[in-house]
Amino acid sequence: MSEPEFNILGFGDISYVSQDGNNEDGFFVGQAVAHLTASLSDSFGVFGEFSLTGKDSEYSVEAERLMVKFDFSDRFKLSAGRYHSPIGYWNSAFHHGAWLQTTISRPEVVKFGSKLVPIHFVGVLLEGALPSGDLGLSYKVGFGNGRHGNIARAGDAGDINSDKAWLVQLSSKPKRMFGLELGMDIYSDEVTLPASPNVDETTITAYAAWTKESPEVIFEYMHSEHKLVNDSSASGDVNAWYGQVAYRLSGKHRLWKPYVRVEQTDVDSSDPLLGGEGLDYDAGVLGVRWDFNPYAAIKAEYRNEEFSDAGRENNFRLQISFVLAKL
Amino acid sequence: MNDRATMQAHLNKLIRKFMHIAVCMLLWSVAPPNVYAADDLVTPSPIAIVVHESTGVSNLSLAELRSIFLADQQFWSDRTRIILLVRAPQSDERDFVLNRIYQMTEAQFRRYWIAKMFRSEVPRGPKIVFSTDVTLELVVAIPGSISFIRADEVTDDVKVVRIDGKLPSDSGYPLK
Repeated sequence: MSEPEFNILGFGDISYVSQDGNNEDGFFVGQAVAHLTASLSDSFGVFGEFSLTGKDSEYSVEAERLMVKFDFSDRFKLSAGRYHSPIGYWNSAFHHGAWLQTTISRPEVVKFGSKLVPIHFVGVLLEGALPSGDLGLSYKVGFGNGRHGNIARAGDAGDINSDKAWLVQLSSKPKRMFGLELGMDIYSDEVTLPASPNVDETTITAYAAWTKESPEVIFEYMHSEHKLVNDSSASGDVNAWYGQVAYRLSGKHRLWKPYVRVEQTDVDSSDPLLGGEGLDYDAGVLGVRWDFNPYAAIKAEYRNEEFSDAGRENNFRLQISFVLAKL
Repeated sequence: MNDRATMQAHLNKLIRKFMHIAVCMLLWSVAPPNVYAADDLVTPSPIAIVVHESTGVSNLSLAELRSIFLADQQFWSDRTRIILLVRAPQSDERDFVLNRIYQMTEAQFRRYWIAKMFRSEVPRGPKIVFSTDVTLELVVAIPGSISFIRADEVTDDVKVVRIDGKLPSDSGYPLK
């Protein structure tokens, strides 16, 4: 057995935000995030991710991810704990790593505190590669607690009802198209809100990501269906998508990467879970990233957006993001 | 309502343009100019892939080798964990491997491994080694290890893996 190893990664960002009609324009310290990985043997390890987030009058500390992992082989890796829900692409690919994502802002559907998809998942996860040759297929199967009564949060202290949540994700990294990742998943849960009837939730997501930087293309689509458990005729859908294209320039301009993103969220007004939340949204995002240092980037971003027919707003963001890594 | 309809029309037009640009860029990128190539790449000798002598593999396809170097495959068939040793920056061997196997620049390589660790897909990044001598010592000492050195620096203590059925001395060897 090899000696235990301990690794640390850190992410952080500082932003300046200017927004139409907002008197609170100014500087914001984003999340400071620490990743701790301990390999206790060749097949057993512990992973933790802890964040420090600035609030109005204090900082909040949260265990974003905490899991124990047993890697039996490439085909079977079992873990238990708290995860970024493996739903879609962005939520698990970038999440708290502002430096990792090309843009400043996350798509609205997977923003921090989103009610549209369960951002975190608490339970067990089995994952691994499937024998598929050049298709490069892999799977994830999860079983655990559903959403909390505050649906923006995970069920950290047990499931709020007796119906557990489950998810299945299938993805492909074709070996003959290095850089391409395709995937789809399904998530199911019964949601319990305080003083409200229970709601069955089924979410299906599909995505395609071309991760080479010249260009980088990410497209993701999510469809959710919500039905009252006791009255399936009371139902509604949520449809959300975004598409993002970026392009790393070449030669002496290789540190620059312009990008554009378009996104839209439509929530049925009859949706028994989210219909009254005012979550309709559309936006266009235009920006540029400058990797002035191997471990830090400055990004400038303009966003034109509209929430629930409330009129379009413009905002401008400037951010410096960084990673603390030894590699 | 007219404003709403006009805005929706603008949005639909924007979406169509966006999809058009995305499809064109994706098609173009399938056969891009070699933006990852290092213009002054030095390859004084073929690069040999070496493994610990107990490793039960003698031949890998280039696709399998890439999968191992990308940590998409992390175990040998006997379930020994693969330990990847990579030369530190500023070495010709590293430049060659980044160019030919990873198809990445130095910055993309660094970002790839940070992302891999961030997603908790690997417990650690590759072990960084600073010389051929240290590479050889570690490959000899660590079961499951794999690395790369110049073919003319291979010793009898390590096992050289055929790539696509060819040894570094064979014509058509892919890592020349």
